[in-house]
Amino acid sequence: MNKSIITGTKEIELIRDSYLNKLLQQCEQQSLVKDDSIGNLLRQLRQQATYQVLESRLPTNKDEEWRFTDLSPLIEINFQLGEKSNMERNIHSNALEQFIIPEAKESRLVLINGIYTPEWSDVSGMCDNVYVGNITELSAPQKEKIEQYLGTIEERNSSGAEPCPLTALNTAGLNDVAVIWVNSNAVVEKPIHILHLSVGEETPYFSQPRTLVIGETSSSLELIEEYGTIGNNCAYLTNGVTEIWVQENASVKHTRIQRESEAGFHLGKSAIAQARDSRYTCTEVNLGAKLSRHNLEIYQRGEQTETYLNGLTVVGGEQLADTHSAVLLSKPHGTVNQLHKCIVDDSARTVFNGRVFVPKAAQQTDAAQLNRNLLLSPKARVNTKPELQITADDVKCSHGATISQLEADEVFYLRSRGLNERDACVLLIDAFASEILQRIPVPSLSEKLARCID
Amino acid sequence: MTTAVKTLVNQPYKYGFVTDIEADTIPRGLNEDIIRMISAKKNEPQFMLDFRLKAYGQWQKMTEPTWPHVTYPPINYQDIVYYSAPKQKKEQLNSLEEVDPTLLETFEKLGIPLSEQKRLGNVAVDAIFDSVSIATTFKEKLAEDGVIFCSISEALQEHPELVQKYLGSVVPVSDNYFTALNSAVFSDGSFVFIPKGVKCPMELSTYFRINNGDTGQFERTLIIAEEGASVSYLEGCTAPMYDSNQLHAAVVELVTLDNAEIKYSTVQNWYAGDEQGKGGIYNFVTKRGLCKGINSKISWTQVETGSAITWKYPSCVLVGDNSVGEFYSIALTNNLQQADTGTKMVHIGKNTRSTIISKGISAGNSQNSYRGLVKMGPKAAGARNYSQCDSMLIGDNAEANTFPYIQVDNHSAKVEHEASTSKIGEDRLFYFAQRGISEEDAVSMLVSGFCKDVLNELPMEFAAEADKLLSLKLEGTVG
Repeated sequence: MNKSIITGTKEIELIRDSYLNKLLQQCEQQSLVKDDSIGNLLRQLRQQATYQVLESRLPTNKDEEWRFTDLSPLIEINFQLGEKSNMERNIHSNALEQFIIPEAKESRLVLINGIYTPEWSDVSGMCDNVYVGNITELSAPQKEKIEQYLGTIEERNSSGAEPCPLTALNTAGLNDVAVIWVNSNAVVEKPIHILHLSVGEETPYFSQPRTLVIGETSSSLELIEEYGTIGNNCAYLTNGVTEIWVQENASVKHTRIQRESEAGFHLGKSAIAQARDSRYTCTEVNLGAKLSRHNLEIYQRGEQTETYLNGLTVVGGEQLADTHSAVLLSKPHGTVNQLHKCIVDDSARTVFNGRVFVPKAAQQTDAAQLNRNLLLSPKARVNTKPELQITADDVKCSHGATISQLEADEVFYLRSRGLNERDACVLLIDAFASEILQRIPVPSLSEKLARCID
Repeated sequence: MTTAVKTLVNQPYKYGFVTDIEADTIPRGLNEDIIRMISAKKNEPQFMLDFRLKAYGQWQKMTEPTWPHVTYPPINYQDIVYYSAPKQKKEQLNSLEEVDPTLLETFEKLGIPLSEQKRLGNVAVDAIFDSVSIATTFKEKLAEDGVIFCSISEALQEHPELVQKYLGSVVPVSDNYFTALNSAVFSDGSFVFIPKGVKCPMELSTYFRINNGDTGQFERTLIIAEEGASVSYLEGCTAPMYDSNQLHAAVVELVTLDNAEIKYSTVQNWYAGDEQGKGGIYNFVTKRGLCKGINSKISWTQVETGSAITWKYPSCVLVGDNSVGEFYSIALTNNLQQADTGTKMVHIGKNTRSTIISKGISAGNSQNSYRGLVKMGPKAAGARNYSQCDSMLIGDNAEANTFPYIQVDNHSAKVEHEASTSKIGEDRLFYFAQRGISEEDAVSMLVSGFCKDVLNELPMEFAAEADKLLSLKLEGTVG
């Protein structure tokens, strides 16, 4: 603990939650930051975020944002910060095979426990006008500009909710950042695969991966962000933050796959800033983790921006998957189209909260949001809250939510064609899921995920 | 905005007059002595005083909720007069003739004549003035069918066992901050009891009037429909124009047993404050119905046009198998009004069904939020819900929000929710103009078209009145 920060009576006030502090202390112990310009930037960000974490506490289900997702199981576990030194011995040489995507074989960036691992990455297929790597190897002019991008998207949202302390915790422990930087007018043909792996240790550990994506003016990029783990049964926590800048007239297709093991806790945040005429598509698929939460925040900051959000959550067992999305418009002629689907089996639970803020300036907004949930077992549970906050009058906004089980007549129809009950159900579930999976721009990945769901 | 329109907008609130009548008022503030005083004034049985004191104890431990999407300066609960009654010449009134004529005139002016021969149609009225019930009409006629319709203070004297059995059984004292406050200090309200198998022969209605400028109104309504009974009940409310804000924190409880049905309609037109948002009623109300028996039904219909701030969620707890809950709402806000309203449908029994139709209209600088909860319990097999909440924005300073919460713990349940937001488009107004219909008329036609689903649910006489009220409130908001 940095004693110089805390003095006298402020002490009690600041330390409201010892748990976040415990994690914070570990972040402070492990600093790989070097003494150069980037090192100074990271140190400065860490410092600011440290104050923020000290002033906040771990959210409880008394906080509206966390009402249905209880983080108290975390408190019982004493997580240590995952270290790079002892991870190599746990990795089998062929462990990576299962994660390789043929389309992105030569455009792969691997981070293990949040640290860039060049020996596993392969960026040989990348052309000159795009940078794929970590923050320390950026070119000098890029290093100068990075300050305006890293850690600057998040702003207080209009509902007055405080910035999430977990995001601050990630920043407070910044050691490395995966960076994708596409120069203006560059069209990246190959999808870029960022693989965040948690690699197991004997004791519970946590890692805080960080990603920064910059698509400059009129550029185009396909991105696959994947969270996975290699061989561990021990509890672990991933607290990831991704920032994406989509500049004027640029396009980013973002596919986010979360396949943590069932021992894992996954807390993720994606913040996207969109400039005028930009297009951003997010297709997220959540399959893993004992408890997962994804905060997806999109800031439309220019006119005629388009945002397409697709989501699929498939959970079973005792899993809990939570998606909180927020689209904050601020300029006229914006488009938002969101479809989020959940399939819930066994005693699992999903939470969905989708917000759309349309302030007065955002006239002629066209926003549609739909949340559909399929419950497969009597103990499956769903909490959903699609939210609209509108102050502009010349807008078209709608939202909808449905919750149901498989239609009995649909199953009957298939059975009357000679399918057995199981196959009939599987076929219907596949059809429900494929509406989202088909929107993944990488064919091999959508096939692979379809197999996971069966 | 044309001048004709402007004069229409600036139409004064029709019910804003004050009745000059001597009032029996207790000192400001709230403490145990005040509660004892209210209880003593009403000559209540001991259990009632205990109930109040317990509620007061709980209220002190609670804090005011901050989650609604409304803003207002903190309320000083010690600056409110908790009991104010017009002075009557006699302690006990035996007939309507003995009621102070000033009071009768007041209600006459509000369009609620209390003398029975003057009443049109088939409606019995309980008139509540500040903290007490003035008169209840058609009591004898209703009694012939065994229907009890009286003020709750009267019910406490004559049917204490019924009150004791049901009071607080649907809305627990500590349900929220304002129910606890209401339970401690409520002064009057209506009590309705429909015995087994009786279909109430006439519409029942209660008219609430706040007169005193420093009083808060804390009324309590309790309606019980026994097996196979049915009743349709309507409430209306108005208040004079004062510069200060007044608190109205009511609690309404409904209970239906097997096969019973209650239809509860509200036309709320409290004083909404002026264009600058000065004055107006804070309407913080808890309304809840319990479908206790099988096949029972509770239907809420509300037309919310008044109040500076509305905070109100008429809810249904569907316990009995096959029971039905309905919620139809129109919430209209203009100028600086704020409304956070909606419903809760809690499905507990098997095959329970609920429907929510909510229409929000926000004009001027107002804020209109729909907040709803649909909860399917683990035992609510085959439960169904359909919700639709539409918002209409008039002018680009108005705000419309929806916060629907859906919680499903049962895989055989089916929930559908839809919401949309729109405005009165130029093209529509143009279409009307083509046909020689003025902008004003066009807007009021579009609004009543938008609200038709809900207006259809109101008893006929009131539907026409509510429709008129909506167009009156909206006049001049377009143009």
